[in-house]
Amino acid sequence: MDRVRTILTVVAISTLTTCGALLIVGTNPVDVFSAFFKGTFSSWRHFAHVINVWIPLVICSCGLLFTFSLGLWNIGVEGQIMLGAVGTAWVMRHLADMTNPTVTLGIAFLMACLLGAIWATLSGILKIKSNVHEIFSGLGLNFVAQALVLWLIFGPWKRPGVASMSGTRPFPAAVWFPVPEGWRFSPIALVAALLVMGITAWIFISTRWGLLIRAVGNNSRAAEVHGISINGNFLLAMAVAGFLAGMTGYYQAVFVYHRLIPAISSNYGYLSLLVVMLAQYRWTPVPFIALLFAMLHVGSIQLPLTLNLDSSLGGVIQGILVLTTLGVVHFRRNS
Amino acid sequence: MKKLTSMIFLVGFFYALLLPSEAIRAAEEPFTFGLLLVGPYNDHGWSQAHFEAAKAVEKELGVRFLYIDKVNPADRPGVTVPQLVDELVSRGAKLIVANSDDMKDGIREAARQHLKVYFVHISGDDALTGKGPENLSNLMGRMEYGKMIAGFVAAMTSRTGKIGYLGPLINDETRRLAVSSYLGARYAWEKVRKKNPKDLVFQVSWIGFWFNIPGVTADPTQVTQNFFNSGFDVVISGIDTTEALTVAAQKRKQGQEVWAIPYDYRNACNEAPEACLGTPYFNWKPGYMHFIKAAQSGQWKREWLWLGPDWTDINDPDTSSVGFLPGPAMSPEVRAAMDDFIKQMASGSLNLFTGPLYYQDGSVFLRKGEQATDEQIWYMKQLLQGMIGPSSAK
Amino acid sequence: MNVILRNIHKFYGPVHANRGISVTFREGTIHGILGENGAGKSTLMKILAGYTPRSDGQILINGAPVDYSSPGEALKYGIGMLYQDPLDFPALTAIESFTIGLPETPICLPSKHFVKLFEELTRRFHFSIRPEIPVEYLTVGERQQLEIMRLVAAGAQFIILDEPTTGISIRQKEILFDALRQLASSGRTIVLVSHKLEDVVNLCSEVYILRQGKCVGHVAAPFSKAELLEYMFGQIPPPVSRCILEKGATVLWMDRVSASWKKTTMIRCSFRVRQGEIVGVAGLEGSGQETFLRVAAGIATPHEGDLYLDREKVTGRKRSYFKNRGIYFVPNDRLAEGLFPDLSLMDHYAIAFGGSSWLIPWKTIEELARERMETFSIKGQVVSKAAGLSGGNQQRLLLSLLPANPRLLLLEDPTRGLDVESATWIWKYLQNLAQKGTAIVFSSRDLDEVFAVSHRITAFFEGRIALDAEVNTTTVDEVQKTIAGLFRE
Repeated sequence: MDRVRTILTVVAISTLTTCGALLIVGTNPVDVFSAFFKGTFSSWRHFAHVINVWIPLVICSCGLLFTFSLGLWNIGVEGQIMLGAVGTAWVMRHLADMTNPTVTLGIAFLMACLLGAIWATLSGILKIKSNVHEIFSGLGLNFVAQALVLWLIFGPWKRPGVASMSGTRPFPAAVWFPVPEGWRFSPIALVAALLVMGITAWIFISTRWGLLIRAVGNNSRAAEVHGISINGNFLLAMAVAGFLAGMTGYYQAVFVYHRLIPAISSNYGYLSLLVVMLAQYRWTPVPFIALLFAMLHVGSIQLPLTLNLDSSLGGVIQGILVLTTLGVVHFRRNS
Repeated sequence: MKKLTSMIFLVGFFYALLLPSEAIRAAEEPFTFGLLLVGPYNDHGWSQAHFEAAKAVEKELGVRFLYIDKVNPADRPGVTVPQLVDELVSRGAKLIVANSDDMKDGIREAARQHLKVYFVHISGDDALTGKGPENLSNLMGRMEYGKMIAGFVAAMTSRTGKIGYLGPLINDETRRLAVSSYLGARYAWEKVRKKNPKDLVFQVSWIGFWFNIPGVTADPTQVTQNFFNSGFDVVISGIDTTEALTVAAQKRKQGQEVWAIPYDYRNACNEAPEACLGTPYFNWKPGYMHFIKAAQSGQWKREWLWLGPDWTDINDPDTSSVGFLPGPAMSPEVRAAMDDFIKQMASGSLNLFTGPLYYQDGSVFLRKGEQATDEQIWYMKQLLQGMIGPSSAK
Repeated sequence: MNVILRNIHKFYGPVHANRGISVTFREGTIHGILGENGAGKSTLMKILAGYTPRSDGQILINGAPVDYSSPGEALKYGIGMLYQDPLDFPALTAIESFTIGLPETPICLPSKHFVKLFEELTRRFHFSIRPEIPVEYLTVGERQQLEIMRLVAAGAQFIILDEPTTGISIRQKEILFDALRQLASSGRTIVLVSHKLEDVVNLCSEVYILRQGKCVGHVAAPFSKAELLEYMFGQIPPPVSRCILEKGATVLWMDRVSASWKKTTMIRCSFRVRQGEIVGVAGLEGSGQETFLRVAAGIATPHEGDLYLDREKVTGRKRSYFKNRGIYFVPNDRLAEGLFPDLSLMDHYAIAFGGSSWLIPWKTIEELARERMETFSIKGQVVSKAAGLSGGNQQRLLLSLLPANPRLLLLEDPTRGLDVESATWIWKYLQNLAQKGTAIVFSSRDLDEVFAVSHRITAFFEGRIALDAEVNTTTVDEVQKTIAGLFRE
């Protein structure tokens, strides 16, 4: 009941704040809300695009649930997504001609997850061995990952004769993931995302590891007293988060862009951080919040089209949501 | 009581959502085309040129157009071209123009998804190579001429003989335009001013994209400043935004005698007229008219259209796809020489793509007396001998 | 300057830290405030120095009531306080830190002025700090000196020192005391807060003794230590029943171990505990027993010496290794170190008894949780969060998480904050474990408790084991003296 009250408070405050902001800009909030609604629910195709954003958000958020449960701020998730995409692109470049498409896609998937996990583990190792806070190592590694992506696109993987921000040459059409006629996302990817969500929930509900990381995240000193390995769990959670971030990168490269582009992560890593924070680090609200964010993301394109508003307003609404939630929850905790 | 209030709230909320959509559906739709702009619609450059052409066409043919600007992964992370095409099509667009080379892959994918909708990709070659479907055509202006005039004017005006070319990313198109500028400049330097070819410095600096993306591309403001600080006195802009002109105006305020030549958009000079030698610009209206009429009348066929200037008046808004608008900073003498230069090109007596010309690595581009074919110009493989700057990204 | 505190009360939530304290500080005198940890000394001084508002009562300076709400305002009245951890700026040099710390002084004065002032003060007090040395290179004692100079330069007429002799060398202590005497003779009022009897006896001319938030005594020099001790600890009731010890094999042996945990250290301690033995550890807070228990538990790692478990060397092993060998630890701060505040009771049982299987057998765990909660009479639901339990229930929960037969049980203040009934129940349970062969080592602030149940008593002073004796061969008096640092006599 308390939780319901919190949610209602957040919805009320953020709706009011958004309306206030819109009125100040001189726009009718009703128009804006209806634009978002139409841009996401008015047709199956619109909704399909929402799903297309929802899939990577959910996968990435699930990874972050593990690190957040441990109390780790895995800011490096952006870089992990990029590394996943790099791994994918590497396999596509070098193996696409040698094996059949299914095998290539499979290898690329493993490679993406592996690279993401390795990149995340680096952050973890720096924390354990050199006591570098994961936020700093994560930011650093994001920077390195972005530099790597740019170098590859402008250097060894550039299109013949062309080096441009538009990215590498598209993967051969054979290794674009098959999408049913008229669909805009692969049902297989949707099933995979649901599976990731399910497994994540199962880990938190039923497995010892899920409980232990919650315990470490809640009180690491007590965890030590109880003989729970803290460093080991740090590494494992980082690796799992990186694995799923790599999967997100794979999705971006194979399903969305069919190539490696500089902005391959689409900032979904940062967005997922917000999703999980808004979810208060619990898994239950994650799919719903991810859906809400995906709707804001996709719907915001309506704003310039129908209302001549800048589409960054979608980001503003996201920001208001997150801030109100954190504010309300904090207030409730302290009162 | 609480339940009741929230019920009322919810019902009101959804009613509000549904209301405007009903209103929109009622209206009868005119022919609608969509526009995907890579930059802001008011960028005083490439994207604005497209935007204004669309407005002109809308007025003249009584059609309606929709646009989405800033279509690039940096400005709109996670938003893809096929997704936006879906959006425009769902709003009734029957023809879609994508105005960036970078949308090549996306527009090809979208064209395959919407075979009943027509697509025009600006500056691409899918219709030439046959890689795209039947409903995808290409349109480009023969900007070589505009750039030749720009190069000509630059070399006529320059005191130091050092001309900078602010290039975007490196590809066939941008090499083509840099080469054209160079050819115009060289002609002015050697044939009109009768100066020593060795004294002409023509340097190309590529920033990496069509406009500044902080942290990703080189900063065009910085690059331009570097040019002016190292003795260059004219900078020809090859990018979509007007940093070169802005910097030139600043430098002039500080007492340096420098000029810039912006690009893309007819009124680009307005930013800083006192430093502006003129603008080579695109006029997309003739091309747009052609394709929209074809789509409306059902006479569509896949075309690769490379439209040139109307030599009777290169600045005619209805017929000339490429133009050059002299700027306030151009001197009357240079103006006269330029008019003469244009006349010669119009009459066909002067073709700057005539051999002997050599690529930057010394290999032959055109033998003596040989004139370049369209295809040779379109797929410009390298910069030419005599130009400084990389021919391809390392 | 004369300062009178009249009927001061202070509540921290439900905790009544000062209960109507009235004291008088006279000009030119060094006063001592003596008391156990938690007696309310620091709270009273924080009120006086403006760090904390009082809940009730009056402060009179030279007879006039005053009010201030920050250390800065207090300093305007001439009251300055030297903290246990001096609050200065580690990245600056001594002179910079000194200059910045002077309020009301125009910062634009030439730096020469400050250097002169600085050097004058160091000469006057026989300090040896060079102005240009970075603060981070100063020892704790030198930082204190810097802070005293700052207070004097800022015009403090009334200087409070909170436990100033912790962590400084004997030489520095002498310099400090000389400086304080000098300040007093120049008409300033000095208040020394300490739980170290000898410091107070050496320096002060009158002493107030606090116990449980009240002022229980006011004594002028010359002092009788026995009298002070009695004021500090109150009357000691006779010991109660102790279980019979059947001497077993040595479980844990520490061989000249030095280690530190947080800010407390233990120095070259040797210790042995046998099966079935209950060892009580006495010591004032921060004397090293905290570290000692954590080294034994495998949480703190020795940097010198070795640790043997059943004759096997286990120095440097992880906590999980110790735990698997049957060594359990119950810390005194239950929520901070023992329990997971936001996890449910059932989660706790799953962590403790879930075994090493991948999946948690929730059904079994729930049954076990209910049974345990009944046995230990824990009032709560299996799904309630640990943070929601009362102190006694939290302690019972911690004990209920222990296996039936630990090899060695280390407990820190096991009955802290519990009512008599709960405490008795807990000791019954623990003694029962000891009868079955568990070795128990516990620390307690309550000497009565230590004497009541221990077979052996170990007393810590300044990181060292100052006394280790069978309970029959020592007395409460001896232990009291030992932990107050008077064993040398």
